Amino acid sequence: MPPAAARGLDAIPHSLLPFLQSQSQNSLTRLYSRPSSCLAIFRLLGPMERQIVMNLLWIDSSVLTSTLDSWIMRDGRKHYEAAIASLARLHIIMNPSSKLTLNSTLKSAFRMAITGDGEHRSFGVPTERGEKRSASVEVLDAYAVERWETILHFMVSSGTGQVPAKPSQGVLYLLQRSGLMATMLGTNMKITSAGFQFLLHSPHEQLWTLLLQYLHMAEERQMDLVEVLSFLLMLSTMELGQDYSTENLSPTQLTMLEDLRDYGLVWQRKPSSRRFNPTRLATTLTSSSPPLPTTSSTGNLTQHAESISDGFIILETNYRLYAYTDNPLQTAVLNLFATLKSRFPNLVVGSITRDSVKKALANGISADQIISYLTAHAHPQMRKNNPLLPVTVQDQIRLWELEKNRLKSQDGYLYTAFASQADYEFVLDYARKLGVVLWENSAKRCFFGTLEGHVNVRGFIERRTGGG
Amino acid sequence: MKAIKGVLLTCDPAVKQLLVNMDEKQHFIIQDLDDNHLLIKADEEDRVRKELDAELERNTYSLDT
Repeated sequence: MPPAAARGLDAIPHSLLPFLQSQSQNSLTRLYSRPSSCLAIFRLLGPMERQIVMNLLWIDSSVLTSTLDSWIMRDGRKHYEAAIASLARLHIIMNPSSKLTLNSTLKSAFRMAITGDGEHRSFGVPTERGEKRSASVEVLDAYAVERWETILHFMVSSGTGQVPAKPSQGVLYLLQRSGLMATMLGTNMKITSAGFQFLLHSPHEQLWTLLLQYLHMAEERQMDLVEVLSFLLMLSTMELGQDYSTENLSPTQLTMLEDLRDYGLVWQRKPSSRRFNPTRLATTLTSSSPPLPTTSSTGNLTQHAESISDGFIILETNYRLYAYTDNPLQTAVLNLFATLKSRFPNLVVGSITRDSVKKALANGISADQIISYLTAHAHPQMRKNNPLLPVTVQDQIRLWELEKNRLKSQDGYLYTAFASQADYEFVLDYARKLGVVLWENSAKRCFFGTLEGHVNVRGFIERRTGGG
Repeated sequence: MKAIKGVLLTCDPAVKQLLVNMDEKQHFIIQDLDDNHLLIKADEEDRVRKELDAELERNTYSLDT
């Protein structure tokens, strides 16, 4: 995806927004009563929506829609209307037809968030540091990476015969419910096609996919959705390295702490501890910083611009792949679509072959996903090439995908041996109107119709021959 | 008039010719419709796909480096 679009007006909205839009106005208003939730949701909105909210925030009365309309130039009309519609579905703006007002609960809560007012403690209750055995940033990062990679590693190596460390029961249940893994033959879980696609997404997207599934399941577990959501959003506004107290949390949220520990989002010294620390996975939920520390073999945690530090793959025109990594998870993901030839302490050498790509295609990964994974993790040195990946390799991966689809099949019935041309055309016309014709040949006077349409066509013919 | 139940196969002429050759050993084609379409028996579809894949693999060569 070109970088300009990533922050531009045509960007894909954050995956949490459709979920929020499906909630009732009451739930959303309850959610907006907490300042931290307002701030976190604001950060997820697109640039145009944020502009609109900011402009309306400090106005006490309502603004005529025509006033705001007059600010928009003609080419921006489409974006503006989409933004207003999106905000209305989120119940941030009420009644957008004639006057524009912000949801009053949101207005006061958001103002509190920005001015730092109020005793709401919705940004978490920080506790004193300096107690021994409290976690430093390195410990938190190591914990988050270990938990998260256990989950992903479990997914990648299922079915290859290796037996990696199993994540906890709760995580396994979540993976199964989200369709990323499936149980077969009793207790063994195998990764599904959706799971393979999941592995090629960025960590931010992966995290939100799992959290959305968690939110969907919240109601069945009789957890109040608003509390779950507000806890997650509160976590996203917390500071890395700061301890927080559990005294302000509701029972639902205390239960959540257990689950979040399993996913690597919070760290607690022991399960009964009255304080917790959010890890980097939690604090970057609504930001664009990388959710996992940029790993290198020496554990150096300096923050580079995310794109530069994430890239480690070099792809040559002879289909050879050089991946500068020692991370077993990244190696396992590469193994999904490339044949690895040799491993060194900081380098993995392999190549993209027909067999390896066919194996990946058979697992449900598409050619586009392979190409976008390679693009996203391309080594900074590859930027000298235009286009980034060699065109020959890209085209060949797509051609191998097309090879799979050489033969298409459809079930149905062939209607033939019509008595006369007129008969044939009459029935064909009827079938066409139903939209069930897959193939026709007027020279041979026959046509092929779908399985579903057969009942209707047969009924039609019987009525004709019976009555005529 | 007749209605024949079967599976419509859509493919390029090369693949169609391969299928016609395969048919000589074990019949599965009900009718040869045109250059790009064949009508085959419904229960034979899986077997035909497997054999076609095997046949196409025989004609591909990769360089092992």
